[in-house]
Amino acid sequence: MTAKKIDTNNITLTIDGKNCQGSKGDTILTIARANDIYIPTMCYLTKVEPIASCRMCVVNVEGVDGMILSCQEKAVDGAVVTTSNDAIDKQRQSIMKLYDVNHPLECGVCDKSGECDLQNKTMEFDVDQQSFTTRDQHRPVQNWGFISYDPALCIMCEKCVHVCTQIVGDDVLAISAGGYNSTIINTKQDEQCSNCGECMSVCPVGALVSTDFKYSSNAWELEKIPASCSHCSATCQMSYEIKDTAIGNRQKKIYRVTNNYEFSSLCGAGRFGFDYANESVGKDSEAFTRAVEAVKKAESINFTATITNEEAMILQSIKQKYQTKLICNEARGYQKFLEAFCSMTGKSLYSGNLKNLSTSRGIIVFGTRINDDNPMVKYHITMASRRERARVAYMHPIEDASIQSIVTQFIKYEVGSEEGVAALLAHTLLDSQKPTKAVQAYLDDLDIGNLSAESNIGEEELDALLHSFDKKRGFTLVVGADIYTHPKAENIAKLLGLIEAYSDFEVLLVPPATNALGVALLCDLDDDAQGYSVGYNAKANFVLSALGDGDLDMPALNQQEGSFTSLDKRVVPTNAGLSYGGYILNDIANALGIHTINTIDYTVKLPIEKGYQSIEFDDLPDYYNSIGEEHRGYLLKQSRYKKDGKLDEVSTLPTYDGSVVYHCNTNNQFSTFTNSCEQLQTEALLRGSAQFASITKLQDGAKIKFELDGVLYERVFMIDTSMKGTVAINPSFDMGLSSSTVSSYRFSQPKLETMDS
Amino acid sequence: MSLEEFKNRNVGEQSYKMLDLKHTPKSSMGKFGQVVERTVKGELFVGLWVTLREMGNALFKDNMHTIKYPLEKLPISPRYRAIHDMLRLLESGHYRCIGCGLCEKICISDCIKMDTRYDENQRKEVSEYTINFGRCIFCGYCAEVCPELAIVHGGRYETASEQRASFSLFEDMLTPIDALKQQKEYDGFGAVSPNADDNIKQTPLAY
Repeated sequence: MTAKKIDTNNITLTIDGKNCQGSKGDTILTIARANDIYIPTMCYLTKVEPIASCRMCVVNVEGVDGMILSCQEKAVDGAVVTTSNDAIDKQRQSIMKLYDVNHPLECGVCDKSGECDLQNKTMEFDVDQQSFTTRDQHRPVQNWGFISYDPALCIMCEKCVHVCTQIVGDDVLAISAGGYNSTIINTKQDEQCSNCGECMSVCPVGALVSTDFKYSSNAWELEKIPASCSHCSATCQMSYEIKDTAIGNRQKKIYRVTNNYEFSSLCGAGRFGFDYANESVGKDSEAFTRAVEAVKKAESINFTATITNEEAMILQSIKQKYQTKLICNEARGYQKFLEAFCSMTGKSLYSGNLKNLSTSRGIIVFGTRINDDNPMVKYHITMASRRERARVAYMHPIEDASIQSIVTQFIKYEVGSEEGVAALLAHTLLDSQKPTKAVQAYLDDLDIGNLSAESNIGEEELDALLHSFDKKRGFTLVVGADIYTHPKAENIAKLLGLIEAYSDFEVLLVPPATNALGVALLCDLDDDAQGYSVGYNAKANFVLSALGDGDLDMPALNQQEGSFTSLDKRVVPTNAGLSYGGYILNDIANALGIHTINTIDYTVKLPIEKGYQSIEFDDLPDYYNSIGEEHRGYLLKQSRYKKDGKLDEVSTLPTYDGSVVYHCNTNNQFSTFTNSCEQLQTEALLRGSAQFASITKLQDGAKIKFELDGVLYERVFMIDTSMKGTVAINPSFDMGLSSSTVSSYRFSQPKLETMDS
Repeated sequence: MSLEEFKNRNVGEQSYKMLDLKHTPKSSMGKFGQVVERTVKGELFVGLWVTLREMGNALFKDNMHTIKYPLEKLPISPRYRAIHDMLRLLESGHYRCIGCGLCEKICISDCIKMDTRYDENQRKEVSEYTINFGRCIFCGYCAEVCPELAIVHGGRYETASEQRASFSLFEDMLTPIDALKQQKEYDGFGAVSPNADDNIKQTPLAY
């Protein structure tokens, strides 16, 4: 016999007579699904660890006594698996019989009817009568705010509990075990639940349903429009589900948002923030003519990064034709940061992505209040923390109570000292690596003691950090929006670029707004506005607004088709959930002589040199395959970048003594658009700790006003007992067109004036 | 009936009674004779007498063969499928419709539409329900699919209207609450069979 060289990672097994390939460590179920073999399950959810509560997935393996749970059993090379025979079918049927015991026969009114796993499997396994029973009990419906829970309908599959702990990380749901009396309990009620609705989306029956959607429509009446969430840069996969508003109103309305919950997730803003469309807009030709004139004579165009790639291309075309300055405060800092970053790494993009983040064993979060800035990144950190037992170091001036369950080390630094922190990080993480001589010399020259003192990070903290990453694989550094607007952002970018270039760390530069990465790549942005200006969802002399308060109405992002560039460096397509009757940006471009029939005709023209591909919008794929591989749009191509970055000396770190205000939206709020959604509406408060209150001498509930970047904020001050320190949090989601004006460093020290009530 | 018999379309072969009609005269003399005969014989008055007699019966003996439509209407079969009725629960007076949407889904002419909402009692409430009788073909599927016997076919067959909008609304079809006692259990199309009780299977819930 000749010894074959066997790839130890690949295994082959026979499932129902079919030869199936898989890799070592895959479960039988995963391999079966990858090979299009059907094994029924009730509790299995791909995105979490196998729950193994339903036992529907039983299979026979030759040579093994009894039945085996295919969802958690790792496949063995050469195994012969049978997924269905009389004994197995009988077993599955008895399981369904048990599930159906006393299940209320209210399919007629149940929201889940038509897309219910229990309904489907009951039919599939031919359970047409109930042959045993148990004494039923009174189990009233519980209202948990966004979600209501009906214990009578619950089949205890535990999917909700697992997503809540393994994906979301809120640990709100738990199981109250007690045989037939078992229920899901909400352990923390409102305070800690981020209202993401993940539990509701994975519920196979009608036990967890949206309070807002409840009983308003049957599942089969809704038309699904595949789209991408437009609220933050994660641009998650989702579908708008639309139907006529009412009998007397044939205008379509978005009833709810669903997603491919098997493989992807959504945060609360994505799931409940869908009703921000600019509705009942007609073609106002006079306003349109004025808009065309305004764009023609404009010297600068202000816009937000909450636009599609195609719109960014249109704006860029307008710039090329009229030499208009393009001002996008949200994306400009990010663009400069990315350029400086790439000048050190020699690659055109950062290397981190969400999937790798979720399998990292060591994670550092730097310069972002991540749970509020980008919940999807937080979900992926949670996955890493819960599944890979990742060490998570959270570096920020403000401690965040909402993520303390996943953070293993909180490193607090002084406001404004980010440059020093970046230098310390680079020094620590490159300690055992081999950077170039110049870099090594630069690192050796750093005055570590001084930096450590000024930024208030103890050297022992960094030692502990390095020590905790010992003997681990897979590292990600998550960098957020605090840094992009920092006065020394470029040098910080270069320092972080060193980490990407010379250490094992993958860096994920979280874009600060929905399409900030797209705008940064597609538009030549300018720093300062001048002269007459036109604003697109931003304050200017002439305003084009999707909020309905401008000089010409524009469609909101759920009324547009196009693509976004996500933080995963993926170009994802989105479709119009609702129709729009007015003029769009492309109409203005056409009137200016930049001719394109549809906005989506720009998709194919996205610049190849920036990593985009020449693919028609209609050819962009948008699906997950049977094992959850993402086929949405395409990934940007990484190319070489001129590696010419020069590191500056770390300058004296600025000091922010006394009270500081941090600009940050609250969880589930990203912009004016999310705040205009009925379910998400919240009051914008200036939240600070008791310490902040004592420094500023503000009472709880005091009315104050202050000015930031030329915008006047009038706020009620609230003492948040979960916060510590002297930094208060100020949101801007209620500021309408002004919210995009925030362009400077997120920490500031405005003069707080008390207003007479 | 065998298939052969079923397929026999030759109606003339069956037991029809043929009238003894005389031959049509061919000659002109014959035609003249027929005219004279019909004129003199007074057949006309036979017919007129029948009319007069029936008029007398109707006026004085109250014995009428026709009905005074639209003042009077003939009774129709419970299986007749005319404008729908919406029934109420006899005990509570609440309408039976649970808003499941099956009638809306099954309707082949796509003329049923309903809006539902979550009401104060945590129940599904039908906030609006319409049937477009300009489109309805009275096929009876809605009544058959209804799990609650809430929508049934009534006997109101006069469906002419100037506007589609005035055909019928949920409230028009619903049994008036003050007429609840007069509501009869529907025994027409889609109703439970008379021996429904015998067909019910005992479930273990009757412990």
